[in-house]
Amino acid sequence: MMDLKSNRTGVRGAHGQSADVDSQVETKEAEQMEAFMRRIEAGDKIESTDWMPLEYRLLLLRLIHMHGISEIMGAYPEKEWVPKAPTLARKLSLLAKVQDEVGHGQLLLRVAEDLAEPIGGNRDSLMTDVFTGKVKFHNVFHMDAPTWADAGIIGWLVDGAAIITQTALLDGSYAPYTRVLRRVCAEESFHMQHGESIILTLAEGTKTQRQMLQDALNRWWPSLLFFFGPKEISSPVEKMMKYKIRQRTNEELRQKFLNRYVPRIHAVGLTIPDSSLHRDADGLWHYQEPDWEYFSMMVRENVGPKSAERIHLRQAAHEGQAWARQVAL
Amino acid sequence: MEGVKEYGAYEVFVQRTHQDAHVHVGSLLASDVSMAILLARENFLRRDEAVSLWVVPRTAVASVGGEDVDFFAREFDRSYREVSGYADNALRWKEFKSRALSLDEVIEDVRKP
Ligand SMILES: [Fe+2]
Ligand SMILES: [Fe+2]
Repeated sequence: MMDLKSNRTGVRGAHGQSADVDSQVETKEAEQMEAFMRRIEAGDKIESTDWMPLEYRLLLLRLIHMHGISEIMGAYPEKEWVPKAPTLARKLSLLAKVQDEVGHGQLLLRVAEDLAEPIGGNRDSLMTDVFTGKVKFHNVFHMDAPTWADAGIIGWLVDGAAIITQTALLDGSYAPYTRVLRRVCAEESFHMQHGESIILTLAEGTKTQRQMLQDALNRWWPSLLFFFGPKEISSPVEKMMKYKIRQRTNEELRQKFLNRYVPRIHAVGLTIPDSSLHRDADGLWHYQEPDWEYFSMMVRENVGPKSAERIHLRQAAHEGQAWARQVAL
Repeated sequence: MEGVKEYGAYEVFVQRTHQDAHVHVGSLLASDVSMAILLARENFLRRDEAVSLWVVPRTAVASVGGEDVDFFAREFDRSYREVSGYADNALRWKEFKSRALSLDEVIEDVRKP
């Protein structure tokens, strides 16, 4: 914490200190930064109590905060299907999955809190930032899930995509995040089976059931491609790679998703709504790009089909339960 | 008596690598925290490698267990929360001439460049 303070005053060079003190602070900081990068390059793992540059802290905070809030907002499209699930067994497994996702949010926000604490953040601000649009959540959780097949596609392909992006972070440099991710991924393996089980039943079913599944896939396909992020390597991604927070680009992960899932989607008799989709001789997938601007705006401005409704529900829940948090004190 | 040091029990937790959680390895008797840390190293880390060690006064540990078996009771079958509860997926994929995906497979694939 002391270090972070000196880091910030060092950058600003303020507080009426003489130029001498300032340059001493800067030298010390440069040395700390160098030592930190040596640790990163050597594959060392960083703990929350270790010195870290402010840039590293903020990159992680942004990533983990968004991840945690996305887990919580991600429970909403599926929670809508809990009362309407077709059988008791489906209701139980969907409920279990929703409970897991909210649990993932709790674990991740705890990691984010430790990063935010030295710069003045806490659980309440991390939670309420989603109401004011200060923190974003994944595009897929802004979308409508009008049929039971959508619940199946979410479990199968949205979770499938999320598992790929999360496993890509398992070997990252920030140890508290990787420990939580290990637990999260272990639970995701149940989500994977749960999703497959739903879509298999529909794929084995009547013509109407198969059509319902096809319609859901058509609805979700562009969102799924967008989920991995833009093709270009953005400056935050580049920095995260420099700090070994992540080691794979968005496009590499999207390619891995296509590798795993396209053959399975075809196997169950579904058609991917993209006639240009193909794999070239080098094994690289070519696909019709999602409408980048449409989805970016949805995430940026919370203007997706369900954004406002779900944020409103989240806010009502958070504020409606404020009294309970208070009496527990 | 005020100010007189007493020996007390400390619970010891060791973290083997940064990717593991701290694991309880045992307890020891010490006069204070720094003695507990020293003894913990001598007792539990003579061979094993570790990256972090916690000692916690036993009085600071809130616990449930022992005779309170109801707390851990499983009233219902919970296999629907487990991968093993969906073992039939594999056969069903086979019908479609494909196979079920496993988490380990995904992890391995993502690690591959
Ligand atoms: Fe999750
Ligand atoms: Fe999940």
